[in-house]
Amino acid sequence: MKRPLALVTGGAGGIGRGICARLAADGATVVLADLDPAATEDTARELGVHPLVLDVADPVSRRAAIARCDALGGVDVLVNCAGVLRDARIRTLDPAAFRRLTEINLLGPLALTRLAAAGMAQRGRGSVVNLASRAWLGTFGSTAYSTAKGGLVGATRSLALELGRAGITVNAIAPGFVATPMTDGLPPEVRRRSIDAIPVGRAGEPADVAGAVAYLATATYVTGQVLVVCGGRSIGDPYAA
Amino acid sequence: MTAATDTVGVLGDGALVPAVRAALDGVAVGVPAAIVVPAVPQPAPLAALTDERLATDVGDALDAVLAHAQHALDRLHGGGRLVFVLPHAPLMAATGCAAASAVTNGVLSMARTLAIELARDAVTVNVIALDAADPAVPALTGVLAGLLGPGGEAVTGQETYLTAGTDLGRLRP
Repeated sequence: MKRPLALVTGGAGGIGRGICARLAADGATVVLADLDPAATEDTARELGVHPLVLDVADPVSRRAAIARCDALGGVDVLVNCAGVLRDARIRTLDPAAFRRLTEINLLGPLALTRLAAAGMAQRGRGSVVNLASRAWLGTFGSTAYSTAKGGLVGATRSLALELGRAGITVNAIAPGFVATPMTDGLPPEVRRRSIDAIPVGRAGEPADVAGAVAYLATATYVTGQVLVVCGGRSIGDPYAA
Repeated sequence: MTAATDTVGVLGDGALVPAVRAALDGVAVGVPAAIVVPAVPQPAPLAALTDERLATDVGDALDAVLAHAQHALDRLHGGGRLVFVLPHAPLMAATGCAAASAVTNGVLSMARTLAIELARDAVTVNVIALDAADPAVPALTGVLAGLLGPGGEAVTGQETYLTAGTDLGRLRP
């Protein structure tokens, strides 16, 4: 039986790298796609997976990515992990920056899903895992990011209804604070406060998110769900010190 | 207190604008307020959501919501009430509504973030979901009266579904 092929966008980033490593360890043929050619090549070589340079906001690049995967047998698992976080409070948010973030974090994943789902439907199976964010529930100063991630959650739910009978599951993961090179750069006080607010008492690791992806990639009776991977942060504790 | 139809800005091109205007007839407000009623894409299967259509149906629609929200907040310096009114079906999820669900849920998350962000500015932000095919105008009047009237300052970041319980048993986004 053919090994499932997983296309992971944003695969050279902190979380994406963890997802690629986990899916490869689970036996998938992994295509690690990212924007930065050098990081893509280096990370893919390190993990022993296929490198693919992809700009999720570029239609030509998206079509080329799916064509490359088709040549390898077609996408069985699409993990929409690529995303950016550059944001501002609404009163100072530049509309052009809002649009750019929407294109990368929402429109790109939906377009890739359309392209990948066509092949999945022909084969009668497939799974799409969208990396949303706990910011979908609302986060101070994240107007553009939370809007895009909320949009991704909404599309996930409707696509689950639309694609279920074609054998395709569509789910989302909403990570909370995860230790990555991006969060490593936060001011120490911000980082400490963020971790203090997490009930399990630690930052998440890319492997925590990767485990959730691995589950949803194979769970054929789970669709339209948002799995919040945040150490309990979304529950909160109003009585915590 | 003044009649809401004179003082509340209704922004957006959504199909629910007439229902909102009708509901405001019975509402009296005492603070600056604005209601954003976003335009939502027509249903379309995923296969029909071309790159161009995603850009217009989803990208442009969300751009318009941001513009309306920023314009509304210009009126709410010093405090006030901001309400988003959305169609219930795509907000909850429906077959062939991926684009509309992306827009409505994007707005929902924007509202949640704004509620957190604007609390320190004494601006409340809430969402009301209606059945677009048969909007419950009297119920909308009642909820808007609560959100825009005395005591409304204590309600923010909330979502109210005026759908007579038709979504009971479903997980909300």
